[in-house]
Amino acid sequence: MMFGWFKNPPLPMNEIVRNYENTPQPSPKTALSEVNFLVLDLELTGLDAKKDHIVSAGWVPIRHQEIMLGDSAHYLVKSPIGVGQSAVIHGVHDHQLKTGMELCELMAMLLQSYPGYVLVAHHAQMDLAFLTMACERCFGRSPKFKAIDTLKIEWQRLHNKGKVLTRDMLRLSSCLERHKLPKAPQHHALADAFACAQLLLSQIRQHSSSMTLGELQNLSR
Amino acid sequence: MEVTEVTKFLAETTPFDQLDADQLQALARQMSVYYFRAGEEVNTDSNRLMIVRTGVFSLYSDQQQLLTKLQSGDFYGYQQLLTDLSDQDTLLCDEDGLVYWLTAEGFQQIRYQFKNIELFFQRLFGRRLHQYKEQSTNRFTLKISDVAKARKVSISPDATVQQAAAQMTEQRVSSLLVEQNNKLVGIITDRDLRSRVVAEALPADSPVSDVMTSKPHTIDLHAYLFEAVQLMSQHNIHHLPVLRDEHLFGMITATDVIRAQQDHPVYLIGEIHRQHCEEGILQCASQILHLSQSLSNQQVPAHEASHVLTTVTDALTQSWIKLALKRLGPAPCVFTWLGFGSQARMEQGLNADQDNALLLEKEPEGEIAAYFEQLANIVCDGLNECGIVYCPGNIMASNPELRLSLKGWSKQFARWIQTPTQEALLKSSIFFDLRPIYGSKSLFNALQQDILARTKDKAVFLYHLSHNALKGTPPLGFFKTFTLERDGKQKKGLDLKKRGLILITDMARIYSLSKGISAINTRQRLIQLAQQKVMDAKDSQNLLDAFDVLAQLRWDKHQHDIAQGHEASNLLDPAVLSGLQRHQLKDVFEVINQAQSQMKYRFCREL
Repeated sequence: MMFGWFKNPPLPMNEIVRNYENTPQPSPKTALSEVNFLVLDLELTGLDAKKDHIVSAGWVPIRHQEIMLGDSAHYLVKSPIGVGQSAVIHGVHDHQLKTGMELCELMAMLLQSYPGYVLVAHHAQMDLAFLTMACERCFGRSPKFKAIDTLKIEWQRLHNKGKVLTRDMLRLSSCLERHKLPKAPQHHALADAFACAQLLLSQIRQHSSSMTLGELQNLSR
Repeated sequence: MEVTEVTKFLAETTPFDQLDADQLQALARQMSVYYFRAGEEVNTDSNRLMIVRTGVFSLYSDQQQLLTKLQSGDFYGYQQLLTDLSDQDTLLCDEDGLVYWLTAEGFQQIRYQFKNIELFFQRLFGRRLHQYKEQSTNRFTLKISDVAKARKVSISPDATVQQAAAQMTEQRVSSLLVEQNNKLVGIITDRDLRSRVVAEALPADSPVSDVMTSKPHTIDLHAYLFEAVQLMSQHNIHHLPVLRDEHLFGMITATDVIRAQQDHPVYLIGEIHRQHCEEGILQCASQILHLSQSLSNQQVPAHEASHVLTTVTDALTQSWIKLALKRLGPAPCVFTWLGFGSQARMEQGLNADQDNALLLEKEPEGEIAAYFEQLANIVCDGLNECGIVYCPGNIMASNPELRLSLKGWSKQFARWIQTPTQEALLKSSIFFDLRPIYGSKSLFNALQQDILARTKDKAVFLYHLSHNALKGTPPLGFFKTFTLERDGKQKKGLDLKKRGLILITDMARIYSLSKGISAINTRQRLIQLAQQKVMDAKDSQNLLDAFDVLAQLRWDKHQHDIAQGHEASNLLDPAVLSGLQRHQLKDVFEVINQAQSQMKYRFCREL
């Protein structure tokens, strides 16, 4: 099932982007319980989307506010250059990356499997920059990605409580601890995506059960 | 690729801990993860298995009584998955938590695939334990958290009194918490609406803040229930907001407190001990039925319920003895009131009769004999009036043959043990379970040591005792069908006591006597037999499980009979059982069969 898209004759590249764009995102008035989310995490060789590369990607969808483990996925990406220093952080080595997936295969799978899903990430800005860059490289152009950012939601939450914030307090591991959620092994794309999904559910539960997508988007600004 | 956080947890959770990495991964892929907020209610009709990962959940019966608390590694929903019957339970989240939902297909697959997992959930269901956490140590010290529910019904101070009244009616509560910015600012009760609104002719749109009680007294969730009672009576109030870590948790009312007390055995037992007259004791005894019902409603496991009922019988016995001592004057010598049979084993059911006797320091002659005859009559008559009826076999202290000195009892036991005849033993096996109910413990210990020294490794005695015990067999016919029997009223059924419980009790007794083990309670005997390696640990566990299942069935049957207005009967019609229960019951009888043949081999070989 996972690779089902691959067996179909591949779509022309630009249609992948167009199809993705043509599937509408849910309206801001949609109740959160009706919104499909895709929580995503990328491990990267560095912080610069122009120079650095995606090492691995992990994601897990949320439907009806339930994290669907059966659809969780984790892929290593073939890298055009060596992983170098960042392998120390991610525990991913060059020889593993040779067995990985082509970046463009990964992007096509993401766009074709999850159109209409609201993307979620921790410190989403970074992941979106890499996704956009990847699409441009693969398909010539990229959809305009938007995402819910659990880091920003957390920032607002703490800010509203009048807390003085430090950078460390917004790290995923600190957030998990604050929300009394199970710890995630650091720097594994799927583990982090799963942890981020749990964080999102906890953050949503701090608010009324009738919360809408628009209200959540406001918190994530 | 799996989410290691989930598979790691499963790998540490019984019964999934026996799966290998691939199996765990496949299992996890059938799961989803949900986050519950405190106060949120779990849909108990989802037909999925719920696995608690973090947080605390409270399970309430349809009578709104707390059954148990679920925590990390606990399950819910297997009842419905196993039987297709949904419970009328309510499951509330007490502390924010994550749960894993396993789909029905995933559950069925894993239980068909792995016998041990199937067995685990059947046992969980069979015993209806609901992961009953052992709380026996603090069962007599109820806390607010045992009674208060995480359900806060609140209103804003700016709302009108009419809205408050409407909300109370709708939510069926007698009071509301008044909350502003997540802070408690007051409470408003139906009494306030009466006395401060209607009686004063205030308009219906007056704000709640005008009539509420501001800065109400509060109590912490972890305080003891009696502290709430104190606060309520001290200030003459009936409602107390409950706080947890300074945050509003819910409300506890005088009604909650009273209900909790009535349902709690400690109050009845305490009450019995406070009585100094016949009428008082009888009044207490009339509440036994109510107590047993509430034990049943709270799904207290049968063996614990029996323990509580026995404690009540003990308390009643002690009260009557104290009353007799007051009436007759001090006893002329040291004595011990003995309980036999099920009372001694702490395994009384609702239809128990009396089995008791007196152990005296001196020979029962002259004045001593006369004194204890009177005492025994007062106590036995009193117990009979309390509903613990006379023993049909006359095994009672009122029988002069059962009022003996230590020497007299010792001689009696020696006769049974050294020159056993089967007839004599058949009648006397009940005497080998004995426990002191009132009076001198050292006198009792002397007798017990004497008996155990005589029975240990006494082959002839054990032969006859086993031979007698083996006359009763489980009601399984050829081809594993149930064999039914009739009682006097021509009803057909399985005799859970004669063809089940007694067989296990007999075996536990015989093995214990053979090794001088002093435990009396059947479960404790089985546990000690395994610990001292007299019995194989697995065999002991099997018998223990079988005993629990039978005791539970009998307890449920008795409750059912009484609710229908019948006398409690041990005869169970297998047609009323579910397929799963029938299956389980056959297993139980099979276990007894096997244990009996082992006992036969051990004690009944040719001498």
